Amino acid sequence: MISKKSSIPAFFLIPLLTLAGCAGESPDSSSESENGSEDRTQISFIHWRGEDKEVFDDIIAQFEEEYPEIGVEMNIYPSEQYQATGQRMLTDGSTGDVFTSFPGAQFEAIANAGFFEDLSGEDFVGNFDESLITVGEKDGQQLALPYQLVFNMPVYNKGMFDELGLEVPKSWTEFQEMADTLLENDITPIAFPGADIGPNQFMNSMMMNNAPDEDVFQKLQNGEESLTNEWWVKTLEDFQLLEQKGYIQPDALGTSQDSAMAMVANEEAAMLATGSYHMASLLDLNPELELDLMAPITVEESEAEYEGINTATFMLAVNSNSEKKEQAKEFIRFLSRPEIASQYANETGQHLTVNDVEYESEVLQNTAYWIDERKTRFQPRFLITNAQVEAAVLSSIENVLGGADPMEAAEEAQQIVEENLE
Amino acid sequence: MRISKTIYLFFLPGLFLYSIFFLYPTVSALFYSFTDWDGLSDAYQFVGIGNYERALTGDSVFRKTVGNNLKFMLMVVIFQTLAALAFAMIVLKNTKTNLFLRALYFFPTILSSVSVAFIWSFIYDPSLGILNQILGLLGLDFLQQNWLGNSDIAIYSLAITQIWFHAGQMLIIFVAGLQAIPEDLYEVAKIEGASKWQTFRKVTWPLLAPSATIVIAYTTIQSFKAFDLVFAMTGGGPNNSTEIIATYIFDVAFRSYNFGYASSISVLFMIIIAFITFLQFKALRSDRISY
Repeated sequence: MISKKSSIPAFFLIPLLTLAGCAGESPDSSSESENGSEDRTQISFIHWRGEDKEVFDDIIAQFEEEYPEIGVEMNIYPSEQYQATGQRMLTDGSTGDVFTSFPGAQFEAIANAGFFEDLSGEDFVGNFDESLITVGEKDGQQLALPYQLVFNMPVYNKGMFDELGLEVPKSWTEFQEMADTLLENDITPIAFPGADIGPNQFMNSMMMNNAPDEDVFQKLQNGEESLTNEWWVKTLEDFQLLEQKGYIQPDALGTSQDSAMAMVANEEAAMLATGSYHMASLLDLNPELELDLMAPITVEESEAEYEGINTATFMLAVNSNSEKKEQAKEFIRFLSRPEIASQYANETGQHLTVNDVEYESEVLQNTAYWIDERKTRFQPRFLITNAQVEAAVLSSIENVLGGADPMEAAEEAQQIVEENLE
Repeated sequence: MRISKTIYLFFLPGLFLYSIFFLYPTVSALFYSFTDWDGLSDAYQFVGIGNYERALTGDSVFRKTVGNNLKFMLMVVIFQTLAALAFAMIVLKNTKTNLFLRALYFFPTILSSVSVAFIWSFIYDPSLGILNQILGLLGLDFLQQNWLGNSDIAIYSLAITQIWFHAGQMLIIFVAGLQAIPEDLYEVAKIEGASKWQTFRKVTWPLLAPSATIVIAYTTIQSFKAFDLVFAMTGGGPNNSTEIIATYIFDVAFRSYNFGYASSISVLFMIIIAFITFLQFKALRSDRISY
């Protein structure tokens, strides 16, 4: 039996010993690694692309074979969690020697906190398409290098269009004529996943020609523009027209992306209002589909400036707090090699911002012309750097699709914008 | 009886853990609520009561979230308490069937909230969802709804899910409370010729008040903190119609990188919950009697 006196030290010692036991296994970058090399430097690579784990494992194995003195420990977090906690992990430099960032609000926050190492002047920056990496620049410094290139515009069933004798519309009038023809054939023109990503994806192509000024959201956040002006009210009116004419499915705000994808895969709908990143999944659901990309031109042909939307994302960066910056840069240099980038592109079904990538899959080859032959603009939503302003903009779309008058929805959203003016 | 001083040492581990996991975060939140800290930088500035002023007078979304939370809380507290009480009275006796039913009603509570969100998002899907399909089969097409996509009803749809999720937990508390009521009081009421309603009103309810207080207070707090369900099912949409205070704090802190302001909303959130819980305790205490 333990006496009262002897139980007191034991009471405190047990938790202390437990804590000590937990602390004993802390990772040490210079400690002996799995393969036994004592001089190996372990770098941490953090990102949110769980679906890329397999290909990254393979690429990391190749990297470690070529650079035996550097080990890469990859940690993947769900994108929501990454947005919430990713930047916190960068603070002491022990995690995320190489990390990734979303463009927009997260990039701005990390840049303002000073966690990006300036990569300007590094030789591997030249491996990327200069015009596609500007989103990673701030104040003349190349802080991050976007790796992936996606097209956030509707995917359409090209085979169905050919069968019905439909051409890709070049104006808003033609777009409505095309949608009417689809309706006459009992096909929903657009499957719109309004319950999740629909508004934030489709707003880009719906507004790209209504507001061709690429600084429009910057001006909105500075108080120089307003959502009650023509460019946004017209965008909302166009959304209202899609809903009222049945160009998007009924109850669109309750439709998830899985349901919307099923509609397109089953050929109940002709277009999926998301982006190129869903093409591979659609083909998994229905390998017979012939797909391409098409953005609605919401103005007359002569006024149209853009044909689509691109987003350079999954921005690779080096943590300025890291003590292993050179090794981290070596890893980015490796990822930017054309043969490695080609492997990543083909195994993940993504276009990349890296030069000289060879796309092998049919879908990637068939849509590669969007990279250099079509005039696309960077996703406007990512140019909204204040997340509350972004939420207000998206809410106004949901408000209109829920039955509100476009001007009233714009005024309500503008009020929130004004509450958040910088 | 003289208590040895050494006994106070036994409080220390608990106090230590409580200080780390409750006191320190609470005091930190209070401190940062007076700053403009972005959650990342080392530097921040004191802004006085600016954050509180903004929340109370200059943030229409915050006001909307408070309204949404009150709607959600009222519906959950009223219907979850009534459902739990009604089912508790039905499965009160310890028969084999009732024990099975209690376990069945309790089952949703052990599921993870993300699983519940996934199941109910599928149930509510306007085109593929089982709810609209059943209504259609029953000839009740006029009741078919866009359950999560209609901003007028989405918050109530979430409340139904929350009730389904947690009613079983409250049922167990009510069963325990009901079983503690002495049987002879019911016999006296019967001899005196009391009706079923009179027996419930004059015997059951007053003696059940301590359990009801716990259920109502816990349900209130739970409905204010229903972050995971809302986040996973609607993300606060459409048009902020299901945004509640907890999800808004997340958005402000982790999407807008405004920890200072999010901290001030957290403090206000704590005050709101404390105030409502206090009112409930006051109201329910007046119902308590003892025989």
